[in-house]
Amino acid sequence: MFWRNNILAVLLLCCTWCLATSEEFHEALTFRPLQDGRLATRFTFTTLLRGAYPRDPSTLQEEDESQHYAIFPLALGQVLREYAVTELHLTLNAGKWDYDHWGYPDEPGVGTGAELWAWMGESAARSVDERWKGLRNALSGQFCASLGSLDEQRTTSPELTFRPEGSLPQWGTTHQLRHGTLPSEHVCTENLTPFLKLLPCKSLTGIASLLNPHRLFDADWHGLGVHVRYLENEGIEVRLSFQSVFDPVRYSNGRRDWSLRSVFDRVIDRSCPIAHSSEIRVAIPKEETAVAITPDSYTTHAGFVYFNVSNASKPLDISMSWPDEQKFEYGSSQSRGRLSVSITNHMPITIQTSYLESMPWLLQFYLHSLQIYSNGVSRDDLISIVSYIPSVPHVRPTLFQAILTLPPKSTLHLSMDVIKPFLRYTEHPPDAQRGWDLPPAVLVPLLHSNSSTLDPGLSNPPSGFEQLRLPRRMYTPVLLVDLATPDFSMPYNVIIMSCTLIALIFGMVFNLLTRKFTLIRVSPEPK
Amino acid sequence: MAAVLQAVRARLRRLLGTDENGTVMKIRRRNQFNNFIWKSLPIIRLILLVAGYAWMLAIPLPNLGRKTYIDENALQPGQVNTYWNWPDVLRADRYLADLEGLRDRNASSAEQAAYIVDEFKKLGIPSATQAYSFTGTSGVSNGTNAYAIHSSPRASGAEAILISASRISRTGDLNLRGISTVISLAAYLKGSSLWAKDLIFVISDDHLLGMQAWITSYHGSEQSGLVADPLTLSSGVIWTALNIDYPGHSFSHLGVFFEGLNGRLPNQDLINSFGLISVYTGGVPILLYDHRDPREVPHLESKLSIIPSWLPEIVKKQDAVKEYGFRAKNILRHVGYQARGQTSGVHGLLHRFRIDAITLFAVPATGPHGFHAIGRIIESTLRTMNNLLERLHASFFFYLLVLPSTFLKIGTYLPSVILVSVSMMFTGLGEWVDARWYQPKQSSIEEKAANGQAKSEAIPRPRPVLKALSIVLLTHLAGIALFYLRTLSLASGSETMSLLLFFLMASVPLIALTAHPSPPQAVAPLSKTLKAFNLCFASTVISVTSVLNFSLAAALAVSLGVPLSYSSPSRSSLGIKLAGYTIYAVLGFGWLVLCRKEVQEAIWNWEVLGAWFALFVCIIYSPLVLQAAIVSVLPP
Repeated sequence: MFWRNNILAVLLLCCTWCLATSEEFHEALTFRPLQDGRLATRFTFTTLLRGAYPRDPSTLQEEDESQHYAIFPLALGQVLREYAVTELHLTLNAGKWDYDHWGYPDEPGVGTGAELWAWMGESAARSVDERWKGLRNALSGQFCASLGSLDEQRTTSPELTFRPEGSLPQWGTTHQLRHGTLPSEHVCTENLTPFLKLLPCKSLTGIASLLNPHRLFDADWHGLGVHVRYLENEGIEVRLSFQSVFDPVRYSNGRRDWSLRSVFDRVIDRSCPIAHSSEIRVAIPKEETAVAITPDSYTTHAGFVYFNVSNASKPLDISMSWPDEQKFEYGSSQSRGRLSVSITNHMPITIQTSYLESMPWLLQFYLHSLQIYSNGVSRDDLISIVSYIPSVPHVRPTLFQAILTLPPKSTLHLSMDVIKPFLRYTEHPPDAQRGWDLPPAVLVPLLHSNSSTLDPGLSNPPSGFEQLRLPRRMYTPVLLVDLATPDFSMPYNVIIMSCTLIALIFGMVFNLLTRKFTLIRVSPEPK
Repeated sequence: MAAVLQAVRARLRRLLGTDENGTVMKIRRRNQFNNFIWKSLPIIRLILLVAGYAWMLAIPLPNLGRKTYIDENALQPGQVNTYWNWPDVLRADRYLADLEGLRDRNASSAEQAAYIVDEFKKLGIPSATQAYSFTGTSGVSNGTNAYAIHSSPRASGAEAILISASRISRTGDLNLRGISTVISLAAYLKGSSLWAKDLIFVISDDHLLGMQAWITSYHGSEQSGLVADPLTLSSGVIWTALNIDYPGHSFSHLGVFFEGLNGRLPNQDLINSFGLISVYTGGVPILLYDHRDPREVPHLESKLSIIPSWLPEIVKKQDAVKEYGFRAKNILRHVGYQARGQTSGVHGLLHRFRIDAITLFAVPATGPHGFHAIGRIIESTLRTMNNLLERLHASFFFYLLVLPSTFLKIGTYLPSVILVSVSMMFTGLGEWVDARWYQPKQSSIEEKAANGQAKSEAIPRPRPVLKALSIVLLTHLAGIALFYLRTLSLASGSETMSLLLFFLMASVPLIALTAHPSPPQAVAPLSKTLKAFNLCFASTVISVTSVLNFSLAAALAVSLGVPLSYSSPSRSSLGIKLAGYTIYAVLGFGWLVLCRKEVQEAIWNWEVLGAWFALFVCIIYSPLVLQAAIVSVLPP
């Protein structure tokens, strides 16, 4: 009787909780044909937990309230509650985003490798660093990625560059940022499988059924992202995204036509029944050539074509073709330099941008040797250093943040001397002769608020809660650096050699110390 | 404890006889041994010298050496299916036709580069040109490189593979087929998503100069005299590179050229994997350089073989002799490149930047292979390089390839040079000790005649160290001056200037003739001290060089070993002294007059590519010989 009462009470509680926090799930797929014949696609699966709040870190010592989600991924929710994370961003990418040809990405986090950053409230009970450690290990297990190695040696807090994308609740304590990148981490099927498990319809129905690993991981660029943020007056939003750049020209003999079947080798057979909205958007290229899009059950709005997946007839296979084009001709647009520290401003106005370089301690900066050339002329006035936290060998990475002023139509070259220290032999990775992958630098243009909107087509997203602007971050390509590497096939030779030398030296010294010196008269040799 | 030890020691002493006697015996034995070594020093150093030279001659012996093998497991050469096929050959043919059209209307190199860049762009690969100009003593050279960088799908762009072709082949012809191969390959390779590294295609102008300009700009280093546009496209670290040299219409064999600047060699795994792929995937036999085995082409045997014709027929017919001759030919070619610090092709310019690179030379012939074979071989070789997770580090960096698939390990060839060097060091140390002690000869003979019991005591005397060292220093300074004068633009190439320099260098040291002999008991003769320094320094140079550039060390051992060891002041007439001196002068400075073309080439290599050989000869080799020459004219 007691138990029944209890269960009843729990059920009641559940109901009230469900009423208080309603859940919404939206899915969308965006196609954007690029000027070099490639096709950018972006899946977004957004779950909104309406009326929910992030856990206040001051309650970490108390038992957490029970969690009941219908759509919201429980595995992720538990991690967020356990470590009281207010905002979380995880991206796992493979490939080099070509800003010159592909433009600005729809999801800003495109740095090669893994990137994880989180905003967490301070708490006396469990420090931010302690929770950050727990968070990365939990996510490491959740997504089968080596995020556990994002340790103190790779963690920084570049607050200027990574502003919170949502809002931070007012708890009376300050929030802190933790950020780490792992450039050598690559995304693959083992990361996608747990990603799909977080979706309410898995990859069985709806747009998610297009996520075919065989095709996704053959794309020129691909990356998955998990973004959690708290929106004031709305709730907690989880955005799972998968962004990729396909090359239809490579698949289909020189033409850039594509369809869901040709790109993903799948079509949509059923829609996801619990999705509040489910739509596919195709950007119409701004060029002269005629484009044919089938089926014609779409609506057009601001340079985009919209398909509503739930209403469309199934199976749904959207295709886009350029009927007047026999073969895709690559334009002869001049590709701009992408030297690791050269930044080109193509705009006719002066732009200020923040520049973030977080470097593992194995590359140490000589800050005095920082030189800046704008179109070949030395211009030291173009940089103002905002913060510089030098590295501590074996402990902490370097954090270098600066504001750069880019004169109109010019290229800025930054150069700095660095020193490569010697590593302890246990610090070398198993593939020691490969070198070390260095994380990308991040640039954030500081624009006026009214001009910082995204591409015109993307600035009016149909779903209401996507309206918060995403900041524009740009990532430079990663680098590979050679450090002095011992020949790891040699240790035994070295041990043998040094032991022999020490034995010889010891023998000599011992001999001298224990010997008694006396004068001996040697008479001439008797014949 | 101490007491026990004491007791044991006392017992041991008793066992070994009286302690007094035991120690005395020990000292006597040691003295005897020292005396033996000292007395037989001339024989020991002769034996070492002969053994060293004999070892050198033994290097090409047929039963030495071992088969090459793949050491890096990641490479997996020849394990892939290649899909390069006739449509790609057709595409290469079209590029070739266009390039031939450009050649026929004498298009400038900038025009050709523009054409190549345009073709790359049509393929959708970002590409650009790079103009450069080089100003040196032999005038100004201009050119334009074309290059393209294909960012491979999914790759981070941190690593890259370089595929290059120079406009001019090593034969001096145009390398149009090599260029067509590279562009067609770019079109073909872009179609697969399996590349894990970026692919960089470079069509460099000229033979070596273009690549030198490109690779220095790529790595951001600067070189005096070279003005090159900065590169607008960039990629990651280049680990491996292939250079394609295909000057003829068709080819019968693929030759491997691997020597880099200043004697650097690429990792042997690269050569071995290419060799396996060429034979098993492409069906094309490979050669070292363009050396065909004389036994395979009997009608050309006399032309290809280096076995002297005066040998009796019965010896020449021996297979072992033929094998020895063929191996020796390969080794000599290798030593010719490595000792002079020359690169044997465009690939050699990349070794400086830790890039393992080789040149594939399509040996011109009437058949049977063409674009189809070379394309498949390159595709498969690139796939092998693509497999690398780390730099090539497993196999050998020091080796002597005697046949395409046979090599000598460092342990089997290095001792030859070290033996010679040790012999020289012994000689030098012997002279040093000798200079210290004056043996009153007259009295010793008298005593011997009188059946004297005791040997006369040797008298210690001071050695003129400062004098000898200043001569050593002056000769090296003279070497620097010589290098400076020889590289001056007004001196370059002129015959009179060379002669003038030769006589200047050879005649000034003759001042030494005026030196008066000092009394031997008061101070050691300068010649002995100088010779000691000379030999010790030469020996050190040889043994240090041997682990950096074996061929150079071997060349030094051959040219310096005997002349320096047996240089000695003679009491004979001025005429004989001068004759000896002339031989040394010709050995040391003869190259100024006798091989002017070589000198010109070495200086070009120094100025343009940074090969150290010219500098090394001027400030190390010639001064060493000059010191020996001075020894021979100084009073004894």
